[in-house]
Amino acid sequence: MAIDRKKIIEEMSKVSAESNEEGIIEGFNVMVNRLPAAFWNSFAERLSTKASPEMLEATEYLLVNAAQECGYHTGYGIITSEEWKRIVVPMIEKAPEDILYGAYAVFTAWGWANAEVIELVPGEKMVVRAYNYYESDVAKYGKSKKMSAYMIRGVSAAFMALAYAGEYSSSNEGDRISAFKCEQVKGIECGDDYGEFIVTKS
Amino acid sequence: MSRVLKPEFIIENYFDAKNKRHFLNGEQTVLHCHHYAALYSQLALDADETKLLSDVAEETFYRTIIDYFKKHQICRLEDRIDIVSEYYSVLGLGQLIVNFAGEDSGEVELPVSHIDAGWRRKWGNYDKPVNYITGGFICAIFSAIFDKPTHYYKAIETQSIVMGNKVSIFKVIH
Repeated sequence: MAIDRKKIIEEMSKVSAESNEEGIIEGFNVMVNRLPAAFWNSFAERLSTKASPEMLEATEYLLVNAAQECGYHTGYGIITSEEWKRIVVPMIEKAPEDILYGAYAVFTAWGWANAEVIELVPGEKMVVRAYNYYESDVAKYGKSKKMSAYMIRGVSAAFMALAYAGEYSSSNEGDRISAFKCEQVKGIECGDDYGEFIVTKS
Repeated sequence: MSRVLKPEFIIENYFDAKNKRHFLNGEQTVLHCHHYAALYSQLALDADETKLLSDVAEETFYRTIIDYFKKHQICRLEDRIDIVSEYYSVLGLGQLIVNFAGEDSGEVELPVSHIDAGWRRKWGNYDKPVNYITGGFICAIFSAIFDKPTHYYKAIETQSIVMGNKVSIFKVIH
């Protein structure tokens, strides 16, 4: 594999997110915001914790879905950006697998999670491990019984869809975006040493 | 005759290379897109949890703004208002103008709004306001600039870009 993860993280973490004179950050085909991680965590955690056992699955689905759409469109923006072409494209030997490895390096560089692909069965299955991620900050002491990395789940499913579910579609045609699903099987917030995520076909 | 200079919002970006996390003025931030913000807003509407979204925004931004005021000794009301308006833009949320502010009431205008523009880009106009995140931000800035606790103010969006208006207007009341 020619993907130099360390180099991508080093370069892509320097990409600036500066707003224009209207206070808008345009980049990667989307409008970007840089809100505190605590804001996203707090809303997701309060919403999911207050959900009744009957409503929890539906609530978590909506939280994952938000990240899945975000990951699909922003992910496409990333892999078609000038920065990607300059830094990552020269390292790609085998597509789309190397694109996925590279995308997780960018995922890490952006501060979403220090995550990488540890197993990939092309078009079928992907296992992602996250060694440090802001969504685990919901537990400051002890172990939570609820896994909370909704954003990583959604974005991972989206990245797999970008790689293996056909050509990108800018409209919200559900089929492609939701061609894959992601389950979290380990979580730092639950006392594990890392978070682990398994992506499979929906 | 002395001249009072407007303070500029100081941006200190830091990437923690060990833990792979980004910080703005000591606060951990993450880059997300308009899809994510729009879908969280829609989720809050669907789940009837718009107040939760607003409360979370207020509590988060209040801490950040208060810390900034303390660290940089921002005490004059005019300076505080300038700083929070700049902070709003630095976050990529758009343009925020405080038309007037008193301890019991105020009015805030948004000529540009990330949340509204993102919603419109994704789904077009909507028949009611959706900018609950900014509502919380505005409550936070009023509490911070007047040294009040959180949840002291309410921000009501009376005019909204997502509904087709040129600017969004928030009425602030205690």
